[in-house]
Amino acid sequence: MFPARIREYHRPSSIAEALSVIARENVGEAIFLAGGQSAMQAIKSRMLQPDCIVDLQAVDEIRGIRQADGALEIGAMTRYVDIAENGALDGPFAALRDAASRVGDRQVRNRGTIGGSMCWNYVASCMPTAVLGLGGVCHLVSLKGERSVPADDFFQGPLTTAREDGELLSAIRFAAPAKRSGSAYRKWGLVTDSLPVVGVCVNVSLDGGGRCTAVRVSLTGLPDGAQRSTSAEEALLNSNCEPEVLRSAMNAAADNVDAQSDDSASADYRRQLIRTLGAEVAQLAVDRAKH
Amino acid sequence: MKTITVTVNGVAYEETVPERMLLVDFLREQLVLTGTHVGCTYEGVCGACTIHLDGEAVKSCLMLAVQADGHSITTIEGLAADELTPLQQAFIDNHGLQCGFCTAGVLMNMSEFLEKNPNPSDDDIRHGLIGNLCRCTGYVHIVKAVRAAAAVGQ
Repeated sequence: MFPARIREYHRPSSIAEALSVIARENVGEAIFLAGGQSAMQAIKSRMLQPDCIVDLQAVDEIRGIRQADGALEIGAMTRYVDIAENGALDGPFAALRDAASRVGDRQVRNRGTIGGSMCWNYVASCMPTAVLGLGGVCHLVSLKGERSVPADDFFQGPLTTAREDGELLSAIRFAAPAKRSGSAYRKWGLVTDSLPVVGVCVNVSLDGGGRCTAVRVSLTGLPDGAQRSTSAEEALLNSNCEPEVLRSAMNAAADNVDAQSDDSASADYRRQLIRTLGAEVAQLAVDRAKH
Repeated sequence: MKTITVTVNGVAYEETVPERMLLVDFLREQLVLTGTHVGCTYEGVCGACTIHLDGEAVKSCLMLAVQADGHSITTIEGLAADELTPLQQAFIDNHGLQCGFCTAGVLMNMSEFLEKNPNPSDDDIRHGLIGNLCRCTGYVHIVKAVRAAAAVGQ
């Protein structure tokens, strides 16, 4: 567990400098390094062997949490600890705190970032699932220009995203949610705060009578990585969100996923986790939407 | 090779390191500050290499030495000034260590934890300790020691 030779290390202090530095390198030989809490593992095991590292730690313009008129923007280099400890991220955005406060351990949360986690997009990971559940939009910058990619299109399966070589994820944006909205994320792992065997994110908006007017449900721990559950969403939309509806929606989610058996859990157990953990998460999201 | 400037335990160092050198190896082998331990095979799972980077607990095996350029580091050697800190004393008083291998990392993590959480519950302490593996005392005495340190204001 020791990195292969690294020829160059750069520490740009702006997006423009980061983009021009990486453009000078051969495609595939240089990587952006965010918090490095996953990437350094891959570099030490030599799964990744970057010739050049472009460390984003000094690019201050892509760090921080900004809220205006109900909308939210999180800079890609914002650390888990900064999300977990941000009391303003409640109600509709609470799933982000749920996820960030239980990633790894406090040393990892002191350094790991939301953008790093999203660009790595590990098959079982919390932040991609929460961002997908909340319908975030990924803001990408390159020398060719800027573009916005919805989370649904950004996450393309394990270790795969829409981000292209030479492109930098600068921020994740969330539109202002409807008035009565709430979200929640929970995972179950083999030990506390470990990688999710299964993770569930539910994000609901209710009208004054408690009827569900909008919903997104996302899952992780499955072979395709972070993904939405349309069967759960269809069951919840326009429903009264009573406990039995939540349970049957998550039963539908469990029945319609491609689950795998591995050392961590059988496929049946994963489905059971989606049912039980999913119903708890859905209830928490609904409770938050009502407050 | 790259020349970096880091402050470690209050001392400024200018050192030349290979780009691929891990921060933990820089501390242990180049600065010979061997109190920072490697408990797993550099996999980032044991927490024995925990240090303070600009005052925050991080694992020094999950960073390159070049990433620490311009930063301030505290290792276990720099935790106490002349006398042991109340946290260190509490580990002695409460049998918070047996072989001691994990202790440096536990102390570096818990010292920052207590700064942020001066009145933690046992659950808070246990949650804070997730990133540190101890293979001999179990965690009961470690939790007790941290609780005792919190009671006397670290």
